[in-house]
Amino acid sequence: MLPYNTLLFKFSLIITQMKFQLLISLLLLASSGWSQELFSVTEPASNRAVGSIGFRIDNSIMNELNRSKIDYHLIPEIALGVSKTFMVSGNVFFSNRDDVFKYEGGSIYLKKRFLSHDAIQRHFRMAAFGTLSYNNSDVHQEEISMYGHNSGLEIGVVATQLLHKVALSSAISFVKATDNGNNNKFVYGLKNSKAVNYTFSVGKLMLPTQYKNYKQTNVNLMLEFLSQLNTESGKYFADVAPSLQMIFNSQSRIDVGYRKQLSSTLLRTAPNGIFIRLEYSLFNAF
Amino acid sequence: MIAQSRVNEYHKTTKMKIIFLFIAVALSLTTMAQITKVSLQASGLTCSMCSNAINKALNTLDFVEKVKPDIKTYTFEISFKPNSNVDFEKIKKKVEDAGFSVSGFIATINFENVTLQDNTPIKIGVNSLIFMHTKAQSLKGEVKVRLLDKGFISSKEYKTYGISSLLTERGIYHVTI
Repeated sequence: MLPYNTLLFKFSLIITQMKFQLLISLLLLASSGWSQELFSVTEPASNRAVGSIGFRIDNSIMNELNRSKIDYHLIPEIALGVSKTFMVSGNVFFSNRDDVFKYEGGSIYLKKRFLSHDAIQRHFRMAAFGTLSYNNSDVHQEEISMYGHNSGLEIGVVATQLLHKVALSSAISFVKATDNGNNNKFVYGLKNSKAVNYTFSVGKLMLPTQYKNYKQTNVNLMLEFLSQLNTESGKYFADVAPSLQMIFNSQSRIDVGYRKQLSSTLLRTAPNGIFIRLEYSLFNAF
Repeated sequence: MIAQSRVNEYHKTTKMKIIFLFIAVALSLTTMAQITKVSLQASGLTCSMCSNAINKALNTLDFVEKVKPDIKTYTFEISFKPNSNVDFEKIKKKVEDAGFSVSGFIATINFENVTLQDNTPIKIGVNSLIFMHTKAQSLKGEVKVRLLDKGFISSKEYKTYGISSLLTERGIYHVTI
């Protein structure tokens, strides 16, 4: 593993790159209006309502970098609000990256909110989260992802600030890839199987301009920055994911976005593409 | 034989007297006051889906008749079923389980001539109210009381009112008119 000062230096380079884009986006977003913190690509520190069930279907249509092929990933998910501070969700992975559309594994995600300070139209929350993932497809990239690519573990902390006009969320996590199932080894070596993920998300409510009832369609604009730094090689990637989110009847939601690689020294198969996510929530279900 | 029947009658009357007394006491406690509605303000949210989660949660309480939400002001006007067991703690828990906090809690109570004495708690069902900063008086008709305890008030106001030194116990509420 690289010495800490080198890691910190490389980390600060990524952050500086992101800072500029961040500043622009913050200026654009910190104008009038409320804000939403139900981000498309990342999870905020807030918890689900107790007794609620969320049904989600995530579709990703990614362009492979080295050949003209489109990788389609389908990830259905069920999330449960177990207690005031704890939620659990399970995902199943399907994709056609291996030329045949097939089942590739699944994961369990746990989130525990440990800090919450509420005020009118404001809150600051922090939560710890963890993902345990299983994937039986071959390892084809240096990027480590618990969301449809690698078997392994991710543990992290997320902080979310809702500030009347702007919602900001940031997460830092440690990810460790193990060998994938079906005898698919993590081919880059044990030393290169660890990384640190850092994300920063901003969200803003565009419509309605005035809240009248629950039936109004909410339209939100999100901008998310995602990055990873491999702790051994020092290789990294930095992505941006803008998205549009619509909430119907204060119950169902659709996110449409585009994920784009800004910079990378890590080998990645298909980092750019469109994602469409559908979610329906049942309240007081159990 | 006559003496025995007289003894039986005497026992019956005493029994009935005890029953009547018991009913009278029970009735006097319940007819003293009735909580008709609560105006609640929630904090920690801006979006309508968040407000809807609170709205749906409040509607699952068995003593709630109707909930009227105001999305703009994050307030919920909750009206209760007549003669039901209103529980303030359960209302607060529903908001917190939905993921948010209560920043304001005002209960409208219909009093049937209750004498308010310094620091003597008034029991209404499972809720005991201790009136703070209020002169000894007679409460009659519709009165609005505001809860000052932690979890029913914003943390900023909680520090201002300075009752943090007082013990908070489940079911006991410090209120002001």
